[in-house]
Amino acid sequence: MALYPSQEWCDEWKNALNNDPAVAETGKNWGVGFNGNWIFQVEPGSGLEKTAYVYLEAAAGQCTDAQILGDPAAKDPGFLVIGSYSDFKPVVKGEKDFIEGVVKGTFKIKGDMAKIMRNAKFIRAVANSISSFKNEYLGE
Amino acid sequence: MPNIDDFIRPKEWVSDFVSDMGKVLRRWGQERYVPIRQQVDEDWREHKLIKPLMKEVLVDLGINSAFFPAEAGGTDMPEPMALTTVICEELARIDSGLCTACICSVWGLTPMILKPHRNMELCLEFGPKFCGDELYVGCHAMTEPASGADVENMGRLRGKTIQTTATLEGEDWVINGHKIWPTNSGTVGDLYVVVCTTKKGSTDPNDFALVLVPADAEGVSVGNPYQKCGMSADMNTDIWFDHVRVPKRYRLHGPGDDLKYWRRAISIGNIASAAMCVGIMKSVYEIIKKWTTERIIAGKPLKEHSMVADMLSEVAILIESASAWKWCYARDLDHPEISGWDPWDERFVLKTRGLALYANNAVERACSRAMDFMGSYGYAREFDIEKHWRDQKVIGLWMGGKGLKTLENARYWYDLETL
Repeated sequence: MALYPSQEWCDEWKNALNNDPAVAETGKNWGVGFNGNWIFQVEPGSGLEKTAYVYLEAAAGQCTDAQILGDPAAKDPGFLVIGSYSDFKPVVKGEKDFIEGVVKGTFKIKGDMAKIMRNAKFIRAVANSISSFKNEYLGE
Repeated sequence: MPNIDDFIRPKEWVSDFVSDMGKVLRRWGQERYVPIRQQVDEDWREHKLIKPLMKEVLVDLGINSAFFPAEAGGTDMPEPMALTTVICEELARIDSGLCTACICSVWGLTPMILKPHRNMELCLEFGPKFCGDELYVGCHAMTEPASGADVENMGRLRGKTIQTTATLEGEDWVINGHKIWPTNSGTVGDLYVVVCTTKKGSTDPNDFALVLVPADAEGVSVGNPYQKCGMSADMNTDIWFDHVRVPKRYRLHGPGDDLKYWRRAISIGNIASAAMCVGIMKSVYEIIKKWTTERIIAGKPLKEHSMVADMLSEVAILIESASAWKWCYARDLDHPEISGWDPWDERFVLKTRGLALYANNAVERACSRAMDFMGSYGYAREFDIEKHWRDQKVIGLWMGGKGLKTLENARYWYDLETL
């Protein structure tokens, strides 16, 4: 049981991603020839006291790094997703669709939208992998 | 200084993602399409230039897969009209023919792929083709030579004039008939959504049928492309169905529901048509703004002359009003829980006819007024006003033409009983 967000949780996520055939299959073109790395900026609320930055490095269907960043400027992601802790939690729990949240504006996203559209299957697989392991949450 | 992004687009209705997709399409259009836009007009017969560009939009930018369910490989975008509206505006600003070809790839499939009336079996069968790495194009085959727009006049004619038949023989539908003018017919389309009747002359909604027919099915043949006034990127031919057999499961829903959910496609078509008109008008706005600013007459920019300012004002008002109206109806379709409209409501179809008609008239007026003030320069190919002027006309002719749009709008607002 890993606390979201924490380094332990990031390690679990990386492990889940690298053992998920759907991620490997749908992500084989992701990050190839472009920066496919992400920072998820989780805004405070619902038990989270200060902004957390989850960094995910993904290319060719593999996750090579997942970590909590102390300083978001330490990395140069291709995609930045900004949302509140209360909005991220249902996605992590597998209760809400991440892409729907992006499209409806629940999450702000910076990066190449065409890559998101073209690789929706991979992004959905990445989001689904989060709910494949058990988590615990702040404020619950 | 205001620009095309200052015309009405309610920020609370359009997410950043959807707006950003618009920017992606705009950037793509500037880089990839505009440099060869004039050449596309000469490519009407073979589509050598156009098909690779369609692939870039439909496959590489993900438009073909946007509304397919995730299980079928799609993006499963919520609020389909918000994105459709932005796509239509941006692509039509570049070339309304290209916009038509791209958006019609999935238009006929909307009764099959949109929630809550998805046919998941068919989505799973055809989704991988539409959402794959190769170009796979849909075509909505409605219009027929004998009855023209009558097919769409379901409110009064109720399918009575549909001559293309679907006859159930064992486990197959056998399709016979002749369609004319569908977008993406000829050598472009891979899958037709064919409007049929199961009983010629019937007005029973149960006899209205939407049947999928792969373009390579035995018994399908197509004519040569029509050379038109404009919209060269939209290929239109005849299609003949001569005892074409397709599996029984290729009927999208079945008796009653085919017509019911097809109505949603018609409302989508009306709103998308209006969005295309807005896109064209935004391009016109950009052209005339530049022209009337840079051209000096009697010692001052053209736009500083009162008669010209009158024209500029009118064009801006046409854009603003058509844009606002279109967003309202797009919102109504995307949010039935707010609007109270079922997306397939027959009366909503009638209502959206008014929007399409208004936007058709607006874009025709805007192009014409712009040309009036640019004179022969507007008539010259160099400035693209004449292209928009030629291209836009067909938006008023399709989907029943202005006559049907007028009648149905009046039918909605005045409860006409005989028209």
